Amino acid sequence: MIQLKAYDKEKLDKLSIDDLTHTFMDIIKEQTSVLIDGIESLIDENFKEVNNKLNYVIQTKTEVKIKKRFESKIFKSKLMFSKADRLKIFSKINDIKNIGEFLANKMLLYKIIFPDKEFKIHLKEIIISLRNISDDISYAVKSIGTDLIKAHDICEKIKEERRKMRKQEFDLLKRLWAYDMDYLSRTFLYIKELIEGIMMLADHIKDFAEYIQFLSTKYLIFD
Amino acid sequence: MVDEISFSLVSILVIMGISLAFAIGANDETLSALVGAGVIKFRIALIVGGIATAFGMILFSQNVGKTVGEDILGSGVKYTDFMLLAVLISSIIWLIIGSLAGIPLSSTHSTVGSIFGVLIVYALSQGGINLESALNYDKLLEVVLGWFFSPALGLLVTFIIFKIVAKFYLSRLRGLNQIEKAEKNFNWLLLVTVIFAEIWVGANSAECIGIFYGIYSSNFITIEQYWISVIICGIFVFLGIFFAGRFVIRNLASHMTNARPSEGVILQSSSALILMIATFLGLPISHSHVIVFCIIGLNLSQKKEIDKKGILKMGLYWVLTFPVAAILAGLLYWIFIFFGLS
Repeated sequence: MIQLKAYDKEKLDKLSIDDLTHTFMDIIKEQTSVLIDGIESLIDENFKEVNNKLNYVIQTKTEVKIKKRFESKIFKSKLMFSKADRLKIFSKINDIKNIGEFLANKMLLYKIIFPDKEFKIHLKEIIISLRNISDDISYAVKSIGTDLIKAHDICEKIKEERRKMRKQEFDLLKRLWAYDMDYLSRTFLYIKELIEGIMMLADHIKDFAEYIQFLSTKYLIFD
Repeated sequence: MVDEISFSLVSILVIMGISLAFAIGANDETLSALVGAGVIKFRIALIVGGIATAFGMILFSQNVGKTVGEDILGSGVKYTDFMLLAVLISSIIWLIIGSLAGIPLSSTHSTVGSIFGVLIVYALSQGGINLESALNYDKLLEVVLGWFFSPALGLLVTFIIFKIVAKFYLSRLRGLNQIEKAEKNFNWLLLVTVIFAEIWVGANSAECIGIFYGIYSSNFITIEQYWISVIICGIFVFLGIFFAGRFVIRNLASHMTNARPSEGVILQSSSALILMIATFLGLPISHSHVIVFCIIGLNLSQKKEIDKKGILKMGLYWVLTFPVAAILAGLLYWIFIFFGLS
């Protein structure tokens, strides 16, 4: 299992608001990555790994320390006209964790056997896209401080990927509804909720990307 | 008995004039950009802004005061105490109407309009003075032209300054950290430009100093008493900002925490520049009109949308201010004359 770095108070105190945001983003990205690994293990029907990874996502609270430090630092900070936007960026990163944790909890409710191999392949494709946009949003967040144009372009890529995911989602749902299963079967419900949970996370990342694009428009001045 | 009435009236006029100085301070929103940016502590900002406005009013308001208090009148025409009373009352009534309608009306336009109204009634009711000689129409035309040119110039200056600053500086900033750092530097410039702007807001407060100049030029008070009144007005404009203006400033500042200090610097420096030129030319202009057009200039330069309906509504009230204030003041003065109080 991945071990997160320890962040002591002294070390955190030395970090700037921007550094704290990046550190927070790294932790959330790492947790999202573990969550996606967990979904992959679920597709591979390796339930021991699923438990390990999803419990790791649920139980890890390293980010709370950073969140508290960030909040106290930004609250006291002066001369920041972007204060409100920085707070919102942080809260949107935090929401990635919240949605991930919610999805992890749901996934642990039942041990599912997928209907067929084809379905698994399609689901894995969505997972690859989710991993891509999760990595990209992290790059975009880190680019906000140094290059808003780059951040804007990365977000455009995220939106494009998310559009692709939406199509994949409907293909999967179509496939799901076409199976000869009782509509109340736990497998059916579980898969439906799993797909919706993954898309909820993807939708949030896409909203976040749009927010970063809004910030680029707001702050960049072109001659 | 007549002297007693006159003394009482002049005392009332002086008190009303000083109250007007307090009201000018109470309604001054120039400091809100500075407070919103959090450059200095709120109380310190009020003190610095108040001192700057008082300083401007005491030292530089004579030109504008002379225009309103003397130059605008026809040759040989002097204010009577009831004329000034009618001017003050009608200005106040029209400003209250504007406040109730939620429109930032110009007290300068209102005062000059009122003066026009009472002088017309004066010319019509008094023998020996006709409409042509009641007013100095050349000066009046200069003043009115100033009302049109000053906002237009404010828009143009802001547009040009922003384009220059954007081309050579702001457009080169790529990341939020870099922008933040640059804006921090603009914070200190904002402090300087707001102080500069406050000086010229005080200096161009024609509605207040003009009344005192009128009282002085009509020989109701001596030059020493005039200067004492100007200094008292300076003190009251400071008190107005410190005790009453804080509410307007705090309210507006709370909406400006996200505003870019660089934009504040451009807006304040443009409007201050226009006010300064107008003050040196002895032209009483409206600060609120200038700042609104500076904001329009800033929005145009950034290709932002402009609230055309809002501007049209505001424009209508601005155009109406002069005739309405003139009719109101004329009517009031006519009532005074009717009761033998000319």
